[in-house]
Amino acid sequence: MNYFKQVAGLVRINITTLPQRWTLFATVVIGVACAVGVLVSLLAMGAGARQEAMGNVREDRVTVMSIGAQSPMLSDISRDAVPMIGDLPGIRRNSAGEPIALPQAQVSMDAIKKADGGPMSFVLGGDGPNFLEDLPEFHLTSGRLFTPGLHELVASTKCARQLEGFDVGDKRPMAGGDWTVVGQFRMGSSEGICMALTDVDTLNSAFGRNSYNTISVMLDSPGSFDLLAKAIQANPAFKVEAKREREVVEVSMKPLIGMLNFLTYFVGTIMALAATLGAVNSLYAIVDSRRRELATLRAIGFGNTSIVTSILIESIILAMPGALMGAVLAWLLFSGFAASPFGFSFKLAVTLPIVGIAIGWALAMGLVGGLLPAVRAARIPVTFALRAL
Amino acid sequence: MKYLPLIWSGIWRKPGRTILIFLQVMIAFALFGVLQGLRTGTQTAMANIRADVLFVRAAVRGGAALPRAVLEPLRDVPGVRDVTFVDTLQGTYQKPNQSVFVLAIDASPAWLTMLSDFMTVQKKDLDALRDSRTGVLIDPFMTQKFGWHVGDKIHLTSATLQANGSGNWTFDIVGNYVAHGEDPSVIIANYAYLDEGRVRDKGTVRNFFVSISDPHQAAAISASIDHRFTNSSNGTKTASIREISQQALQSLGDVDFLIHSILSAVLVALLFAVSTMLTQTIRERIPELAVLKTVGFSNRALFILVVVEVCWVCIVAALLGLAVAIAVFPLAKNLAPGLSMPLSVLGVGAIAACLVALAGAAIPAMRAARLPIVDALAGR
Repeated sequence: MNYFKQVAGLVRINITTLPQRWTLFATVVIGVACAVGVLVSLLAMGAGARQEAMGNVREDRVTVMSIGAQSPMLSDISRDAVPMIGDLPGIRRNSAGEPIALPQAQVSMDAIKKADGGPMSFVLGGDGPNFLEDLPEFHLTSGRLFTPGLHELVASTKCARQLEGFDVGDKRPMAGGDWTVVGQFRMGSSEGICMALTDVDTLNSAFGRNSYNTISVMLDSPGSFDLLAKAIQANPAFKVEAKREREVVEVSMKPLIGMLNFLTYFVGTIMALAATLGAVNSLYAIVDSRRRELATLRAIGFGNTSIVTSILIESIILAMPGALMGAVLAWLLFSGFAASPFGFSFKLAVTLPIVGIAIGWALAMGLVGGLLPAVRAARIPVTFALRAL
Repeated sequence: MKYLPLIWSGIWRKPGRTILIFLQVMIAFALFGVLQGLRTGTQTAMANIRADVLFVRAAVRGGAALPRAVLEPLRDVPGVRDVTFVDTLQGTYQKPNQSVFVLAIDASPAWLTMLSDFMTVQKKDLDALRDSRTGVLIDPFMTQKFGWHVGDKIHLTSATLQANGSGNWTFDIVGNYVAHGEDPSVIIANYAYLDEGRVRDKGTVRNFFVSISDPHQAAAISASIDHRFTNSSNGTKTASIREISQQALQSLGDVDFLIHSILSAVLVALLFAVSTMLTQTIRERIPELAVLKTVGFSNRALFILVVVEVCWVCIVAALLGLAVAIAVFPLAKNLAPGLSMPLSVLGVGAIAACLVALAGAAIPAMRAARLPIVDALAGR
């Protein structure tokens, strides 16, 4: 009898006898399902956060911030720096031949949450004229754009959904005057943070500011970054530095991603370890309960390697339903579930790669869990079977 | 007592199986301990934060800074004991990516006590700071990071410019303080030096700290402070330090839910594993149990025998797991600085272990107790 025929036959016996040992079988499935479910949920949280934050990141967009500023809010750039930065090489020009380098400012203050009437802060951002050249992902969902010079703003749809007073036509008292909400917008694929936008100079004069926070620059191609960065470094009087948009977003995401990574890898590994131990125990028990059968098989000529292989295949087959159950459960419970740790809310994304990772994880658990019991199965002395008969 | 050897031999009937179950329970409870410790630890830390210190900031962050002159009206608010203020200077040391945050204070004695949640400052250091206009206090971490020592002169580069157009600020290290926060790259300097040096934003501060006599009045006093400035161009937003921390914790609400879900999954998987293994063990031991019954063991005695056996393994393993959790807990400190593992977690863990053991053992033990002797001996 050749090896493959033996393995196929053994696997068939293993599977057809599974119902007789359903409790042991269920232990493996439930253990793996719990471990995989938790892993998938945590990975989905990380993926969701990433998707939400990175969805609109462009490789050809650069944020110019003051040196050492750890976030755009803490950055400070003087008014006269804007035209100087605009003249640097590597910057894309619009149809009128002007550089796309737009000053931005932001302030944040409290608004009232619709859910419980409590305070929640939102960002009011100011953008320069022609900001649509720099923010092609911006699109209005209702109303119109703000008029520079007037106390008008547009709000992101997320703000309108979460906070009071951001519907088109609403008046908001801010900085000693009434501001009118004239439109609502979305940014490309992701809803992003709750924010409102107005004209940057209107914002600065209303809030008593005399400088900008950042300058957003569009490069003529993603490869021009080094050119611009070098030109900025060459003139220390600027006291600014250029950062890729991706880098700025990644820094702002660091605390959240750090926490999620810790939870994912720490908890995921430990749960997998526990599930593997459970699988080892169950498979040992299965092998023990089949001692006579296995010894008989060896007596009639089944090889050691084919028995080891068949047990390993069995343990992987046992782990698979667990993996699928865990992934499906996590998907049912959490996909689209909005989480908001650190006040940054996003939807959990159970994506195919994550399910792939989960299945790989489960395969590993099955394989490692099956190894020792398989070796024991192959070592049962043939005489045991003969004595028992 | 005389049954102890019997229980002991029952536990070690299949050493491999017992060790695996033991490890499984241990791992599960180590995880339980760390996660539960993170949760309870944060809550305990929160409850210890002072409620008698209010934090006053501008209602609009990023807008115009608060004038220092607000100090006097703040002192006049009923219930206020003491007021101090702080401004900040962002700088970098040598390289653009080596950020240093300068906290500019008025060096009043209030700093010795008022911000005990965030830092510890000794009187001699505060006096040294007051006596030296360009002086700064550093956290020992900075000695580690940049090799700074008391007596050194340090040069920082900042976007905040001085009258001569330069962004270079020079400080003399005159003493130490200890920061309790997560980022100790903060040094403490004199407000007067910063305010006289800078061109813009002269006479403004970042925020005020107000200590009050009665922590129960925190909300009322906060409201009356905000109300007082509501119609000025410098609206304020006031809350006690504890309230601010609690709000920050509330935004972690979903993480709390996550931890709960993980722990439930862990315990469910564990319960099932223990129960199945036990069922298997009992099935294998049917002839032995039947012999015990034949020699006169009652149903109840058998039930208790099995339950005690399981509880023993589960509880010892759980306690060991919790001990592991305590040992590895400092590693999680990177995540939430200043946390310590509350001992109550041990109690909760032990109770959870008992519940898992009892629930897992109940059905198999019942089956053992109800064994029909004749069938069992016959191997049916």
